[in-house]
Amino acid sequence: MTTNLRSNADTLVEMAVAGRISQPAMRPNGYLHGPDGKATVLPGMFGIAYGARVGDRAFGWAGDHVEPGVSIAHPNERADFALHYLTCIGNGAVVTSGLAKGARGTVTGEHARLLIDFEPAVLERLTIGDQIQIEALGRGLVLLDFPEVEFKKTSPRLLDGLGLRVEDGRLTVPVVMELPIEIMGSGAELNAEFVDQDLMSGDRALMADLGIDRMRLGDLVAIRHADHRYGRSWRAGYVSVALCIHGDSVMTGHGPGILTLITGPADRLGFVLDPQANIAQRLSIGAAA
Amino acid sequence: MTLATNAADLVAVSVAGEIAHPGFPGLPAEPYRLAADGTPFLLPTYGGIVYNVSVGDRAFGWAADCIHPGVSIRRADDLGNRGLNVYACVGNAATVMTGAAQGAKGCVTGKSGRFSEQVIVHFAKADRRRMAVGDQILIRSEGVGLALADHPEIACKSLSPSLLAALPHRVADGRLEFGVVATIPAHLAGAGLGLTSEGGSLHMQSTDRDALAERGLDRLRLGDVVAVENTDSRFNHGYLRGALAIGVVGQTDGPRAGYGPGLTVLMTAPGGALGAYAAPGTNIADLLGLEA
Repeated sequence: MTTNLRSNADTLVEMAVAGRISQPAMRPNGYLHGPDGKATVLPGMFGIAYGARVGDRAFGWAGDHVEPGVSIAHPNERADFALHYLTCIGNGAVVTSGLAKGARGTVTGEHARLLIDFEPAVLERLTIGDQIQIEALGRGLVLLDFPEVEFKKTSPRLLDGLGLRVEDGRLTVPVVMELPIEIMGSGAELNAEFVDQDLMSGDRALMADLGIDRMRLGDLVAIRHADHRYGRSWRAGYVSVALCIHGDSVMTGHGPGILTLITGPADRLGFVLDPQANIAQRLSIGAAA
Repeated sequence: MTLATNAADLVAVSVAGEIAHPGFPGLPAEPYRLAADGTPFLLPTYGGIVYNVSVGDRAFGWAADCIHPGVSIRRADDLGNRGLNVYACVGNAATVMTGAAQGAKGCVTGKSGRFSEQVIVHFAKADRRRMAVGDQILIRSEGVGLALADHPEIACKSLSPSLLAALPHRVADGRLEFGVVATIPAHLAGAGLGLTSEGGSLHMQSTDRDALAERGLDRLRLGDVVAVENTDSRFNHGYLRGALAIGVVGQTDGPRAGYGPGLTVLMTAPGGALGAYAAPGTNIADLLGLEA
């Protein structure tokens, strides 16, 4: 699909970054509050998620912000920022300590921790604290004929798998669904190079009406009027393409995590609907491995 | 018409903070932040004593990034600062307890959220000239727990009984409505979504100037009372059709994505239980009689 798209992939520098499998942590009282104030205690973030993989559903878990696969972080803050800023979706990862040493996986998301997919048999041998190293490649990626279109955290492997094509002079990306921008929420306070922005799932009837509640982890989605170059602005005439990286939340202003991959002006970046536009299928990982 | 409240049951408690110093990132002394289009900028930002910007002034057009009018206070310890940020209500009385301006009286006019977490306090300009960074300011906090007896669906946030009594309002078909300068559409809500609605601020999107101008939002002033449509701020701020949030413009616009003027939310309800009507000029500088 990308044979006619020229990129600068041969100029990119590939570099190792590493993190350790995180231990789940909780706030002092453990409670998460729903829109009506109901307090709940739910798992989902950190650690090794044995039952949730990229490609699985994003809604309906008895969990909150479910992070599929293995969640890793670096204990040193500056090194952790390097882990966040250099890692790209689709990068290869390798376990470098512990019983699963040598096992290979794939980066599928960036939340407060990096999320990595491994085969279930590998998960059985992993433990909290095991070091995982990522072969970070993709920062600086541009398509030579689309300089107005900005890529974030897109590895060359993912770029090749997105099914990109050119239609009417627009770089066109297959996505599973479009999200209305008024439901884009938590994360608006962050720069767009750091983690995701949650879609706000609090209007449950709207989620059902628009079919958003059928979203899967790993789905590609598009948002109109979203300029995600340097933060997350409402701007007419911009489009952002993003990736669902974590599961739904009970908290107001939160919901599945939407990680920006591509952003640009609508006359140069477009999208088409394609129910297969999920990175599990695209990269043959997770639930589609 | 006076609204029936539980004001007689509220407990007034002291909370204190020190006048905050503006801050910038550390070495290698990269002072720039990025505007929404990626342009680096170096401008005054939140915190400190602001001599020439006050509640009632314009919210847009300053050569600045999210300026807090008047004086910003916080506490050094995070838990104590959380107490300050949550307890302080818009309209609460503040008193300077230390330094050359000791005894000067002010008024809480807003709060700021994640990454700054300061309380914004109005003082007369002459008093600001006598203040020093680090001076302690005491707030007689009163308002947490405030409820409307006849409108239990409406949750009050950071709202003092004195401000509530001054807000223009009416009841239409049993629904309580408040007078606002403008209503902000949900797609122009920005930073603050998903964060706590007990403290902090919910910012407007201001990158697309045409979108603001179409609605007259670029003429908002600090202290203006405004509504945010389809926004449920009972527990965090988030999208919900039929919900409404009403707040006050607490801090100025800035160049960063998602960081237009900040609102301190005062009231919210789902299901159409809270309404707003156009009441141009509704500004807390007038409602609270803030001294210039």
